[in-house]
Amino acid sequence: MRDQILSFLGALFDQTGLAHFWWGNLVMMAIGCVMIYLAIARGYEPLLLIGIGFSCIVANVPGSDLVQPGGLFHYAYEGVALLIVPPLIFFGVGAMTDFSPMIANPRLVVLGAAAHLGIFVSLVGAKLLGFTLAEAGAVGIIGGADGPMAIFVTMKLAPHLLPQISVAAYSYMALMPLIQPPVMKLLTTREERLIRMSQSRHVTRLEKIAFPIVIGLFFPPVAPLITMLMLGNLFREALVAERLARTAANDLMNVIVVILTVAIGSTMTADRFLTLKTIEIIALGLVAFVFGTASGVIGAKIMNLFLREKINPLLGSAGIASVPIAARVSHNVALDEDRENYLIYHAMGPNLAGVFGTAISGGILLALLGVR
Amino acid sequence: MTMPDTVSGALTLSVIDFVLSFVMIAGIGVVLALFPLLNRLGRIDDTALHDGRH
Repeated sequence: MRDQILSFLGALFDQTGLAHFWWGNLVMMAIGCVMIYLAIARGYEPLLLIGIGFSCIVANVPGSDLVQPGGLFHYAYEGVALLIVPPLIFFGVGAMTDFSPMIANPRLVVLGAAAHLGIFVSLVGAKLLGFTLAEAGAVGIIGGADGPMAIFVTMKLAPHLLPQISVAAYSYMALMPLIQPPVMKLLTTREERLIRMSQSRHVTRLEKIAFPIVIGLFFPPVAPLITMLMLGNLFREALVAERLARTAANDLMNVIVVILTVAIGSTMTADRFLTLKTIEIIALGLVAFVFGTASGVIGAKIMNLFLREKINPLLGSAGIASVPIAARVSHNVALDEDRENYLIYHAMGPNLAGVFGTAISGGILLALLGVR
Repeated sequence: MTMPDTVSGALTLSVIDFVLSFVMIAGIGVVLALFPLLNRLGRIDDTALHDGRH
């Protein structure tokens, strides 16, 4: 009788999952709590960190049904793994984005490529650290500062690294106001930071409608993302389907963000996350952002060697795709020098071009690695 | 042919990708520079579009 009771209690204990609990789970739960604290108490990316933090906690409770096959978080992850979620994010982003700054300033578009050197510095760095080339490509794409693109490329090249890469990408995007300004100030003179940009031309409705149609023709391997970006933008700019554009930009985005965040957090289990590779990926992510910022600024300075009407080199760092954070950083650094130098509209041009730059870099990366 | 999984493969991939992305982005820039020509085709009235909105 006593043995039966003990055996029953043992089985019950085992079923709760507590028998499989180890200190790593506790560490990850603490990380989840820190994320929730940063979101609620400090206001850091609350739309992302609350979901990621909470599902991280849940994922580290052994035996949690939500993250097991058949559980809701598991299906959320399937939405990411099957590459359903990233295109829908881009659809919503397209519906809320005004591409006029990019259309009005075509010469600034090239900065959307210049600022992506960080991807490749990080890629080579990852290879030197012993990652496979596919893993290195996934790590490098953090430097594109584009969450859905990072997820898309990671799921194609190294799905086992999704938790680390997505957390690194979104964390560094939130930290850009801290990371970028020192690099920008180091590489520019005060005179350069004071350069004022002339007013941009007006972009007509016809151009805004033509833009998504024309650009939608350009992108093969990462077509699902840019195509959906352009579809959402067309809904916005056509002005005859406002309810669809509003739904895409608001309600749909809200649903997708919830799904994405619980999916990412649910993969942050201790056995996957608490590894040396995680530390290396986080370090390489920082390297990518620093080099991307630097290469964008230097790219703008190189352009100035050939331009009669100089551009403010602070716009170069906005070529990192994190919209609109990088543009806002360029604007604020310029304001620090001159309270009447408003760069935000011009900075949005390379910032938006950076989205295409990341898509192009990612697409070529996938093609060169033979991944469809 | 795919890239060899070596450091030189990573460097080669990076150089090709960086250069090609510059070329493609520059192509987008050229296309955008031609956009003002679209306005010769006509003008779209925002008010008319708003009136037909759903």
